[in-house]
Amino acid sequence: MNYRLAMLAMLALVPAALAGQSIDERLGARVPRETAALVRELAARAAARGLPADPIVQKAIEGSVKAVTADRVAGALREVLAQLELSAAALRGAGMDPPDTIIVAAGAFAINAGLDASQVRELAGAGPATGAAVTLRVAGTLAALGVPAAEVVQLVATALGAGQAPADLLALPAQVQAAVARGETPAQAAVGLARAAAALGRRGPPPTRPTPPPRPQRP
Amino acid sequence: MRHEDRGFHPDVKRLLDGELRGGLDDLAPALREEAQEALRLLAEVDPTAPVVSDALEARVMAAVRAKRGRRRELVVRLRPWMLAPALAAAAVLVLLVGRVLQAPTAQAPAVASLTVRFVLVAPDAQRVSVAGTFNQWDPSATPLVRTAEAGVWAATLTLPAGEHQYAFVVDGDQWVADPAAPAIPDGFGGGRRNSVLTL
Repeated sequence: MNYRLAMLAMLALVPAALAGQSIDERLGARVPRETAALVRELAARAAARGLPADPIVQKAIEGSVKAVTADRVAGALREVLAQLELSAAALRGAGMDPPDTIIVAAGAFAINAGLDASQVRELAGAGPATGAAVTLRVAGTLAALGVPAAEVVQLVATALGAGQAPADLLALPAQVQAAVARGETPAQAAVGLARAAAALGRRGPPPTRPTPPPRPQRP
Repeated sequence: MRHEDRGFHPDVKRLLDGELRGGLDDLAPALREEAQEALRLLAEVDPTAPVVSDALEARVMAAVRAKRGRRRELVVRLRPWMLAPALAAAAVLVLLVGRVLQAPTAQAPAVASLTVRFVLVAPDAQRVSVAGTFNQWDPSATPLVRTAEAGVWAATLTLPAGEHQYAFVVDGDQWVADPAAPAIPDGFGGGRRNSVLTL
Protein backbone atom coordinates (compact mmCIF):
# COMPACT_ATOMS: atom_id res chain seq x y z
CA MET A 1 0.00 0.00 0.00
CA ASN A 2 2.80 2.37 0.98
CA TYR A 3 4.64 1.41 -2.19
CA ARG A 4 1.57 2.30 -4.29
CA LEU A 5 1.15 5.62 -2.49
CA ALA A 6 4.80 6.43 -3.09
CA MET A 7 4.47 5.61 -6.79
CA LEU A 8 1.36 7.78 -7.08
CA ALA A 9 3.11 10.65 -5.32
CA MET A 10 6.08 10.35 -7.68
CA LEU A 11 3.81 10.30 -10.71
CA ALA A 12 2.00 13.36 -9.41
CA LEU A 13 5.29 15.20 -9.01
CA VAL A 14 6.50 14.48 -12.56
CA PRO A 15 4.38 17.11 -14.35
CA ALA A 16 5.31 19.73 -11.76
CA ALA A 17 8.98 18.94 -12.18
CA LEU A 18 8.69 19.10 -15.96
CA ALA A 19 6.82 22.40 -15.76
CA GLY A 20 9.46 23.87 -13.46
CA GLN A 21 12.24 22.66 -15.74
CA SER A 22 10.51 24.19 -18.73
CA ILE A 23 10.32 27.61 -17.08
CA ASP A 24 13.95 27.43 -15.97
CA GLU A 25 15.02 26.43 -19.46
CA ARG A 26 13.11 29.32 -20.98
CA LEU A 27 14.46 31.84 -18.53
CA GLY A 28 17.99 30.52 -18.95
CA ALA A 29 20.74 32.96 -18.09
CA ARG A 30 18.86 35.93 -19.47
CA VAL A 31 16.92 36.61 -16.29
CA PRO A 32 18.59 37.59 -12.97
CA ARG A 33 18.32 35.02 -10.18
CA GLU A 34 15.93 37.06 -8.03
CA THR A 35 13.61 37.66 -10.98
CA ALA A 36 13.72 33.98 -11.88
CA ALA A 37 12.70 33.07 -8.34
CA LEU A 38 9.76 35.47 -8.52
CA VAL A 39 8.72 34.03 -11.90
CA ARG A 40 8.71 30.52 -10.46
CA GLU A 41 6.65 31.65 -7.48
CA LEU A 42 4.08 33.55 -9.58
CA ALA A 43 3.92 30.80 -12.21
CA ALA A 44 3.22 28.20 -9.52
CA ARG A 45 0.51 30.45 -8.09
CA ALA A 46 -0.98 30.86 -11.57
CA ALA A 47 -0.90 27.12 -12.27
CA ALA A 48 -2.59 26.39 -8.93
CA ARG A 49 -5.48 28.63 -10.01
CA GLY A 50 -5.72 27.21 -13.51
CA LEU A 51 -4.16 30.30 -15.10
CA PRO A 52 -1.55 30.29 -17.89
CA ALA A 53 2.03 30.88 -16.76
CA ASP A 54 3.37 31.77 -20.20
CA PRO A 55 2.50 35.51 -20.06
CA ILE A 56 4.46 35.78 -16.79
CA VAL A 57 7.51 34.05 -18.27
CA GLN A 58 7.32 36.17 -21.42
CA LYS A 59 7.12 39.41 -19.43
CA ALA A 60 10.15 38.44 -17.33
CA ILE A 61 12.22 37.72 -20.42
CA GLU A 62 11.03 40.94 -22.07
CA GLY A 63 11.97 43.00 -19.03
CA SER A 64 15.42 41.50 -18.80
CA VAL A 65 16.14 41.91 -22.50
CA LYS A 66 15.04 45.54 -22.30
CA ALA A 67 17.38 46.03 -19.32
CA VAL A 68 14.55 47.10 -17.03
CA THR A 69 15.40 47.30 -13.34
CA ALA A 70 14.46 44.28 -11.22
CA ASP A 71 11.89 46.14 -9.14
CA ARG A 72 10.04 47.35 -12.25
CA VAL A 73 10.09 43.86 -13.71
CA ALA A 74 8.67 42.51 -10.44
CA GLY A 75 5.87 45.08 -10.56
CA ALA A 76 5.06 44.19 -14.15
CA LEU A 77 4.98 40.46 -13.36
CA ARG A 78 2.56 40.99 -10.48
CA GLU A 79 0.41 43.14 -12.76
CA VAL A 80 0.32 40.36 -15.37
CA LEU A 81 -0.83 37.84 -12.74
CA ALA A 82 -3.50 40.28 -11.50
CA GLN A 83 -4.81 40.72 -15.04
CA LEU A 84 -4.94 36.96 -15.56
CA GLU A 85 -6.90 36.56 -12.31
CA LEU A 86 -9.28 39.36 -13.31
CA SER A 87 -9.79 37.80 -16.72
CA ALA A 88 -10.47 34.34 -15.30
CA ALA A 89 -13.02 35.74 -12.85
CA ALA A 90 -14.76 37.63 -15.66
CA LEU A 91 -14.88 34.50 -17.83
CA ARG A 92 -16.33 32.45 -14.98
CA GLY A 93 -18.97 35.17 -14.75
CA ALA A 94 -19.73 34.53 -18.42
CA GLY A 95 -20.37 30.86 -17.69
CA MET A 96 -16.94 29.43 -18.52
CA ASP A 97 -15.93 27.37 -15.52
CA PRO A 98 -13.11 26.55 -15.62
CA PRO A 99 -12.11 28.92 -18.42
CA ASP A 100 -9.65 27.79 -21.08
CA THR A 101 -6.16 29.18 -20.43
CA ILE A 102 -5.97 30.54 -23.98
CA ILE A 103 -9.14 32.54 -23.43
CA VAL A 104 -7.86 33.71 -20.03
CA ALA A 105 -4.70 35.06 -21.70
CA ALA A 106 -6.79 36.77 -24.39
CA GLY A 107 -8.97 38.38 -21.72
CA ALA A 108 -5.90 39.57 -19.81
CA PHE A 109 -4.59 41.14 -23.01
CA ALA A 110 -7.91 42.95 -23.50
CA ILE A 111 -7.76 44.20 -19.89
CA ASN A 112 -4.18 45.35 -20.38
CA ALA A 113 -5.30 47.22 -23.50
CA GLY A 114 -8.00 49.12 -21.61
CA LEU A 115 -11.15 47.03 -21.15
CA ASP A 116 -12.50 46.32 -17.68
CA ALA A 117 -13.60 42.97 -16.28
CA SER A 118 -17.30 43.56 -16.90
CA GLN A 119 -16.59 44.33 -20.56
CA VAL A 120 -14.53 41.15 -20.90
CA ARG A 121 -17.43 39.21 -19.37
CA GLU A 122 -19.91 40.81 -21.77
CA LEU A 123 -17.82 40.11 -24.87
CA ALA A 124 -17.00 36.54 -23.81
CA GLY A 125 -20.72 35.84 -23.60
CA ALA A 126 -21.61 37.67 -26.80
CA GLY A 127 -20.51 34.98 -29.26
CA PRO A 128 -19.74 31.29 -29.40
CA ALA A 129 -17.44 30.08 -26.62
CA THR A 130 -15.06 28.52 -29.16
CA GLY A 131 -14.41 31.98 -30.61
CA ALA A 132 -14.06 33.85 -27.32
CA ALA A 133 -10.26 34.07 -27.56
CA VAL A 134 -10.39 35.66 -31.00
CA THR A 135 -13.18 38.00 -29.87
CA LEU A 136 -11.17 39.22 -26.89
CA ARG A 137 -7.95 39.58 -28.89
CA VAL A 138 -9.73 41.72 -31.47
CA ALA A 139 -11.31 43.79 -28.70
CA GLY A 140 -7.89 44.38 -27.15
CA THR A 141 -6.41 45.30 -30.50
CA LEU A 142 -9.18 47.82 -31.15
CA ALA A 143 -8.52 49.37 -27.74
CA ALA A 144 -4.81 49.47 -28.58
CA LEU A 145 -5.74 51.46 -31.69
CA GLY A 146 -7.31 54.10 -29.46
CA VAL A 147 -10.96 53.07 -29.70
CA PRO A 148 -12.58 53.83 -26.30
CA ALA A 149 -13.55 50.68 -24.40
CA ALA A 150 -17.30 51.38 -24.57
CA GLU A 151 -17.16 51.73 -28.36
CA VAL A 152 -15.03 48.58 -28.59
CA VAL A 153 -17.72 46.60 -26.79
CA GLN A 154 -20.48 48.17 -28.88
CA LEU A 155 -18.72 47.36 -32.17
CA VAL A 156 -17.70 43.80 -31.34
CA ALA A 157 -21.01 42.87 -29.71
CA THR A 158 -22.97 44.38 -32.61
CA ALA A 159 -20.91 42.52 -35.20
CA LEU A 160 -21.38 39.22 -33.36
CA GLY A 161 -25.08 39.94 -32.87
CA ALA A 162 -25.40 40.59 -36.60
CA GLY A 163 -24.21 37.08 -37.31
CA GLN A 164 -20.53 37.64 -38.01
CA ALA A 165 -18.25 34.79 -36.97
CA PRO A 166 -15.47 35.63 -34.48
CA ALA A 167 -12.88 35.02 -37.21
CA ASP A 168 -14.56 37.74 -39.31
CA LEU A 169 -13.82 40.22 -36.51
CA LEU A 170 -10.12 40.03 -37.36
CA ALA A 171 -10.79 42.48 -40.21
CA LEU A 172 -12.10 45.18 -37.84
CA PRO A 173 -8.75 46.67 -36.71
CA ALA A 174 -7.68 47.24 -40.33
CA GLN A 175 -11.05 48.83 -41.08
CA VAL A 176 -10.63 51.18 -38.13
CA GLN A 177 -7.10 52.06 -39.28
CA ALA A 178 -8.41 52.80 -42.79
CA ALA A 179 -11.10 55.10 -41.39
CA VAL A 180 -8.54 56.88 -39.19
CA ALA A 181 -6.33 57.39 -42.26
CA ARG A 182 -9.34 59.12 -43.87
CA GLY A 183 -9.51 61.53 -40.96
CA GLU A 184 -11.98 59.95 -38.54
CA THR A 185 -11.19 59.48 -34.87
CA PRO A 186 -10.95 55.86 -33.67
CA ALA A 187 -14.24 56.30 -31.79
CA GLN A 188 -16.02 57.65 -34.88
CA ALA A 189 -14.64 54.80 -36.96
CA ALA A 190 -15.90 52.22 -34.46
CA VAL A 191 -19.35 53.79 -34.26
CA GLY A 192 -19.61 53.87 -38.06
CA LEU A 193 -18.56 50.24 -38.37
CA ALA A 194 -21.02 49.22 -35.65
CA ARG A 195 -23.82 51.03 -37.50
CA ALA A 196 -22.94 49.27 -40.75
CA ALA A 197 -22.79 45.88 -39.00
CA ALA A 198 -26.19 46.49 -37.42
CA ALA A 199 -27.69 47.46 -40.80
CA LEU A 200 -26.37 44.29 -42.41
CA GLY A 201 -27.65 42.22 -39.51
CA ARG A 202 -31.18 43.68 -39.80
CA ARG A 203 -31.31 42.88 -43.50
CA GLY A 204 -31.05 39.13 -42.86
CA PRO A 205 -30.55 36.52 -45.56
CA PRO A 206 -31.40 37.51 -49.15
CA PRO A 207 -34.79 36.36 -50.46
CA THR A 208 -34.80 33.43 -52.83
CA ARG A 209 -36.03 33.68 -56.38
CA PRO A 210 -39.66 32.52 -56.85
CA THR A 211 -39.89 28.98 -58.15
CA PRO A 212 -41.10 28.99 -61.79
CA PRO A 213 -44.36 27.13 -62.41
CA PRO A 214 -43.95 23.62 -63.83
CA ARG A 215 -44.03 23.34 -67.59
CA PRO A 216 -47.24 21.82 -68.95
CA GLN A 217 -46.68 18.27 -70.08
CA ARG A 218 -47.59 17.22 -73.59
CA PRO A 219 -50.56 14.95 -73.73
CA MET B 1 -17.15 45.54 -48.21
CA ARG B 2 -16.92 41.77 -48.05
CA HIS B 3 -20.26 41.20 -46.30
CA GLU B 4 -22.18 43.29 -48.81
CA ASP B 5 -20.73 41.25 -51.65
CA ARG B 6 -21.72 38.08 -49.95
CA GLY B 7 -25.24 39.03 -48.94
CA PHE B 8 -27.08 40.92 -51.69
CA HIS B 9 -29.29 39.22 -54.22
CA PRO B 10 -27.75 39.12 -57.73
CA ASP B 11 -30.54 41.31 -59.12
CA VAL B 12 -29.85 43.92 -56.41
CA LYS B 13 -26.17 43.86 -57.39
CA ARG B 14 -27.22 44.49 -61.01
CA LEU B 15 -29.19 47.49 -59.82
CA LEU B 16 -26.15 48.79 -57.90
CA ASP B 17 -24.05 48.30 -61.04
CA GLY B 18 -26.51 50.44 -63.06
CA GLU B 19 -27.63 47.55 -65.27
CA LEU B 20 -31.34 48.00 -64.56
CA ARG B 21 -32.56 51.01 -66.53
CA GLY B 22 -35.93 51.04 -64.80
CA GLY B 23 -34.33 51.25 -61.36
CA LEU B 24 -36.32 49.76 -58.50
CA ASP B 25 -39.30 49.12 -60.81
CA ASP B 26 -37.31 46.46 -62.66
CA LEU B 27 -36.94 44.44 -59.48
CA ALA B 28 -39.33 41.88 -58.02
CA PRO B 29 -41.39 43.47 -55.19
CA ALA B 30 -39.77 41.14 -52.66
CA LEU B 31 -36.35 42.59 -53.49
CA ARG B 32 -37.20 46.29 -53.35
CA GLU B 33 -36.74 46.72 -49.64
CA GLU B 34 -33.33 45.05 -49.82
CA ALA B 35 -32.43 47.23 -52.80
CA GLN B 36 -33.35 50.40 -50.91
CA GLU B 37 -31.16 49.30 -48.03
CA ALA B 38 -28.31 48.62 -50.46
CA LEU B 39 -28.72 52.03 -52.08
CA ARG B 40 -28.75 53.67 -48.68
CA LEU B 41 -25.52 51.92 -47.68
CA LEU B 42 -23.98 52.90 -51.00
CA ALA B 43 -24.87 56.52 -50.35
CA GLU B 44 -23.11 56.35 -46.98
CA VAL B 45 -19.82 55.32 -48.58
CA ASP B 46 -17.24 58.08 -48.35
CA PRO B 47 -16.49 59.10 -51.96
CA THR B 48 -13.21 60.84 -51.16
CA ALA B 49 -10.00 59.14 -52.21
CA PRO B 50 -8.20 57.35 -49.36
CA VAL B 51 -5.04 58.96 -48.01
CA VAL B 52 -2.06 56.62 -48.04
CA SER B 53 0.88 57.41 -45.80
CA ASP B 54 4.42 57.53 -47.18
CA ALA B 55 5.40 54.66 -44.88
CA LEU B 56 2.65 52.43 -46.25
CA GLU B 57 3.55 53.31 -49.82
CA ALA B 58 7.17 52.44 -49.13
CA ARG B 59 6.13 49.08 -47.64
CA VAL B 60 3.93 48.23 -50.60
CA MET B 61 6.60 49.18 -53.15
CA ALA B 62 9.22 47.17 -51.28
CA ALA B 63 6.90 44.13 -51.32
CA VAL B 64 6.18 44.56 -55.04
CA ARG B 65 9.87 44.78 -55.91
CA ALA B 66 10.67 41.74 -53.80
CA LYS B 67 7.93 39.75 -55.54
CA ARG B 68 9.03 40.86 -59.01
CA GLY B 69 12.58 39.73 -58.25
CA ARG B 70 11.39 36.24 -57.34
CA ARG B 71 9.21 35.74 -60.39
CA ARG B 72 9.77 32.45 -62.17
CA GLU B 73 7.90 30.65 -64.92
CA LEU B 74 7.31 26.94 -64.52
CA VAL B 75 6.19 24.91 -67.54
CA VAL B 76 5.38 21.23 -67.13
CA ARG B 77 4.65 19.08 -70.17
CA LEU B 78 2.44 16.16 -69.18
CA ARG B 79 3.03 13.05 -71.30
CA PRO B 80 0.66 10.01 -71.30
CA TRP B 81 3.04 7.81 -69.32
CA MET B 82 3.22 10.50 -66.63
CA LEU B 83 -0.54 10.55 -66.05
CA ALA B 84 -0.76 7.83 -63.39
CA PRO B 85 2.14 9.15 -61.24
CA ALA B 86 0.79 12.69 -61.63
CA LEU B 87 -2.67 11.65 -60.45
CA ALA B 88 -1.15 9.79 -57.50
CA ALA B 89 0.91 12.86 -56.57
CA ALA B 90 -2.17 15.06 -56.87
CA ALA B 91 -4.13 12.72 -54.58
CA VAL B 92 -1.38 12.87 -51.95
CA LEU B 93 -1.27 16.66 -52.25
CA VAL B 94 -5.04 16.96 -51.81
CA LEU B 95 -4.84 14.71 -48.75
CA LEU B 96 -2.06 16.78 -47.19
CA VAL B 97 -3.78 20.09 -47.90
CA GLY B 98 -7.00 18.69 -46.49
CA ARG B 99 -5.21 17.80 -43.26
CA VAL B 100 -3.68 21.26 -42.98
CA LEU B 101 -7.00 22.99 -43.63
CA GLN B 102 -8.98 20.67 -41.35
CA ALA B 103 -11.43 22.63 -39.20
CA PRO B 104 -10.33 22.92 -35.56
CA THR B 105 -12.30 21.12 -32.88
CA ALA B 106 -14.03 22.93 -30.05
CA GLN B 107 -11.12 22.18 -27.72
CA ALA B 108 -8.15 22.73 -30.02
CA PRO B 109 -7.56 26.28 -31.22
CA ALA B 110 -6.80 26.95 -34.88
CA VAL B 111 -3.13 26.43 -35.63
CA ALA B 112 -3.02 28.30 -38.92
CA SER B 113 0.09 30.31 -39.66
CA LEU B 114 0.33 33.53 -41.60
CA THR B 115 3.21 35.25 -43.32
CA VAL B 116 3.83 38.73 -41.99
CA ARG B 117 6.19 41.39 -43.33
CA PHE B 118 7.70 43.76 -40.77
CA VAL B 119 8.85 47.07 -42.21
CA LEU B 120 10.48 50.07 -40.53
CA VAL B 121 11.64 53.30 -42.11
CA ALA B 122 14.88 54.16 -40.31
CA PRO B 123 17.27 56.01 -42.66
CA ASP B 124 19.94 56.62 -40.03
CA ALA B 125 20.00 53.11 -38.56
CA GLN B 126 22.97 50.78 -38.90
CA ARG B 127 21.12 47.69 -37.63
CA VAL B 128 17.44 46.91 -37.15
CA SER B 129 15.78 43.78 -35.78
CA VAL B 130 12.37 42.79 -34.47
CA ALA B 131 11.91 41.17 -31.07
CA GLY B 132 8.69 39.95 -29.55
CA THR B 133 6.69 37.18 -27.99
CA PHE B 134 7.23 35.07 -31.13
CA ASN B 135 11.04 34.91 -30.71
CA GLN B 136 11.38 35.13 -26.91
CA TRP B 137 12.20 38.85 -27.23
CA ASP B 138 15.60 37.98 -28.67
CA PRO B 139 16.95 41.08 -30.50
CA SER B 140 19.43 38.97 -32.46
CA ALA B 141 16.93 36.37 -33.66
CA THR B 142 15.20 38.30 -36.45
CA PRO B 143 17.27 40.98 -38.16
CA LEU B 144 15.64 43.21 -40.76
CA VAL B 145 17.49 43.79 -44.02
CA ARG B 146 17.82 46.96 -46.05
CA THR B 147 15.47 47.04 -49.01
CA ALA B 148 16.04 48.73 -52.34
CA GLU B 149 14.06 51.67 -51.00
CA ALA B 150 16.38 54.07 -49.17
CA GLY B 151 16.05 53.85 -45.41
CA VAL B 152 13.52 51.01 -45.48
CA TRP B 153 14.23 47.86 -43.48
CA ALA B 154 12.14 44.70 -43.76
CA ALA B 155 11.83 41.08 -42.64
CA THR B 156 9.24 38.43 -43.42
CA LEU B 157 8.14 35.90 -40.80
CA THR B 158 5.60 33.12 -40.60
CA LEU B 159 3.69 33.41 -37.33
CA PRO B 160 0.97 31.30 -35.75
CA ALA B 161 -2.52 32.73 -35.43
CA GLY B 162 -3.00 34.60 -32.18
CA GLU B 163 -1.92 37.81 -30.47
CA HIS B 164 1.73 38.82 -30.68
CA GLN B 165 3.56 41.75 -29.09
CA TYR B 166 6.77 43.12 -30.51
CA ALA B 167 9.04 46.12 -30.98
CA PHE B 168 11.83 47.05 -33.33
CA VAL B 169 15.36 47.24 -31.95
CA VAL B 170 17.41 49.92 -33.68
CA ASP B 171 21.21 49.78 -33.39
CA GLY B 172 21.00 47.22 -30.63
CA ASP B 173 19.58 49.33 -27.83
CA GLN B 174 16.74 51.57 -29.02
CA TRP B 175 13.31 49.94 -28.63
CA VAL B 176 10.90 51.43 -31.14
CA ALA B 177 7.19 50.63 -31.50
CA ASP B 178 5.90 49.99 -35.01
CA PRO B 179 4.36 53.30 -36.14
CA ALA B 180 1.94 51.42 -38.40
CA ALA B 181 0.53 49.09 -35.72
CA PRO B 182 -1.65 49.39 -32.59
CA ALA B 183 0.33 49.57 -29.36
CA ILE B 184 -0.08 49.12 -25.63
CA PRO B 185 2.15 50.11 -22.69
CA ASP B 186 4.82 47.48 -22.05
CA GLY B 187 4.05 47.51 -18.33
CA PHE B 188 7.50 48.57 -17.10
CA GLY B 189 6.76 52.27 -16.86
CA GLY B 190 8.73 54.92 -18.67
CA GLY B 191 6.22 55.32 -21.49
CA ARG B 192 7.57 52.52 -23.67
CA ARG B 193 5.04 50.68 -25.78
CA ASN B 194 4.76 47.28 -27.44
CA SER B 195 3.19 46.95 -30.86
CA VAL B 196 0.35 44.46 -31.21
CA LEU B 197 -0.27 42.05 -34.05
CA THR B 198 -3.46 39.97 -34.00
CA LEU B 199 -3.75 37.20 -36.60
